[in-house]
Amino acid sequence: MKRIILISAAMIFTSNLVHADVADEMLAKFQQQGIQANAQAGESLWNKTFTDHKTAQQRSCTSCHGNNLNHPGEHAKTGKAIKPMAPSVNSQRLTERKKINKWFKRNCKWTIGRECTDQEKADLLSFLSTL
Amino acid sequence: MKFSNTVLATTLISSFLMTGCAIGDEDEYRDKNRWGGSSLDVAPISNASYKEECGDCHMAYQPGFLPARSWEQIMVSLEDHFGENAELDSETQQQLTKYLTDNAAEHANYKRSNAMMKSLSYKDTPLRISETRYFIRKHDELPKRVVEDNPEVKSFSRCEVCHTEADMGSYNEHQVRIPGFGQWED
Amino acid sequence: MNTQKIKVWDPLLRIFHWALVTLFLFAFITEDDFLDLHAIAGYLIVGLIAFRLIWGVIGPRHARFTDFVKSPTEVKAYLKDVLLFRAKHYMGHNPAGGAMVIALLVSITMTAFFGMLTYGAMEFSGPLAGMVSSVGDNIAHSFEEVHEFFANFTLLLVALHVVGVMVASLQHHENLVRSMINGYKQIEASEPEAQAINRNEVTQ
Repeated sequence: MKRIILISAAMIFTSNLVHADVADEMLAKFQQQGIQANAQAGESLWNKTFTDHKTAQQRSCTSCHGNNLNHPGEHAKTGKAIKPMAPSVNSQRLTERKKINKWFKRNCKWTIGRECTDQEKADLLSFLSTL
Repeated sequence: MKFSNTVLATTLISSFLMTGCAIGDEDEYRDKNRWGGSSLDVAPISNASYKEECGDCHMAYQPGFLPARSWEQIMVSLEDHFGENAELDSETQQQLTKYLTDNAAEHANYKRSNAMMKSLSYKDTPLRISETRYFIRKHDELPKRVVEDNPEVKSFSRCEVCHTEADMGSYNEHQVRIPGFGQWED
Repeated sequence: MNTQKIKVWDPLLRIFHWALVTLFLFAFITEDDFLDLHAIAGYLIVGLIAFRLIWGVIGPRHARFTDFVKSPTEVKAYLKDVLLFRAKHYMGHNPAGGAMVIALLVSITMTAFFGMLTYGAMEFSGPLAGMVSSVGDNIAHSFEEVHEFFANFTLLLVALHVVGVMVASLQHHENLVRSMINGYKQIEASEPEAQAINRNEVTQ
């Protein structure tokens, strides 16, 4: 029994490490390019409001993800439920490189009006992976 | 009964029955044979990638609801997808475009796909399912308080909210449950 | 009691009758849950009605409309007689039965016609789709309402028809359902038609 618990605990622990790995890998790559990730800058970018130049609509990451990242969000237009952003609550978050890049592309463009710079991506990743 | 009467009558009955069936046959707009088609509403989604990539912000609409030309247009304008950015990497974009056009309404022998194609002229390229003639005809008897002014529904684009089996490709009216109003039939 | 077996309903008429019963029930049950099957049943019914209209003109004696379609006055008088238990016995359809045949033919035809209009206006399908391609939404929905009305009205007529058949069977001591299956009626040899047949004045 003790052995089963130990092995299970080890597996859970390592699987969490594996999950953190993808974000960490990306951060490591950014670091190699000379980019120092700043979680606080990531947080303020996340909460910042931008104005869409076409519609004058106010946009922010929180528009869809909500103010508490431990809770589900809601798509601002369609109302569809969005699973929580915090990796501690939603273990699927920040686990697939392809997904991370897809959403960076779509959502930076929609929110800010352009693609995020590598610095901004690094900041956001390091902020989100602490949640 | 006289033999000749029997012959005449049998001929009449057979021809009427056959004519009756033949009346129902219209195949010109579609590339598949009518007989053997499904009574189901629309083909369910058979591509997991489509469900994932295009089902995050809204329900992944079955390709059988629009003609191929509509899907093509949507897929080349993902940067401004009804005011949102829905861009994909080019490989995924190509794969999904193929899935959508291969399974579009004119290639699907399902009830709603058939009706949708017949309701559109060859020029129509609707981008919103909810603005097609067929869709409107099916939903125009709903009072505003039930959808648009219903805070739990808000938009006709949210099929899955009322059509409880939408993700299975079933839009039977007997399965409709409108939040705040319950079961809703004609 | 000297009874005689007389052939009344010819085979095609009987096939027509029971095919219509089956298809109507099938259509009623499937409605729009299995719309393509429902539509096929409707088309077949149109074929059957067309057959009956022609058969009612060129068919054997008791299949012809001239045999049983009577004036409203006669129908009313007959119904009065039924209520007073003194209705005369008819070989073919009695006047009330004749009226029911007409009523059913009309109601079923209207049901099928509006069914095709509905199919065209709501599913853009079927033979009348072209005709209704540009009607507005309101008219489209009203086609459906009228179709449903006539379908229900037909069902009501069917119920009355069944009651009528039962009453006539009881009053004249005959099994009219069996007659519509095997085509025969047992009648007294003394009845006018039996005598006419026996004297070769009339073919069966």
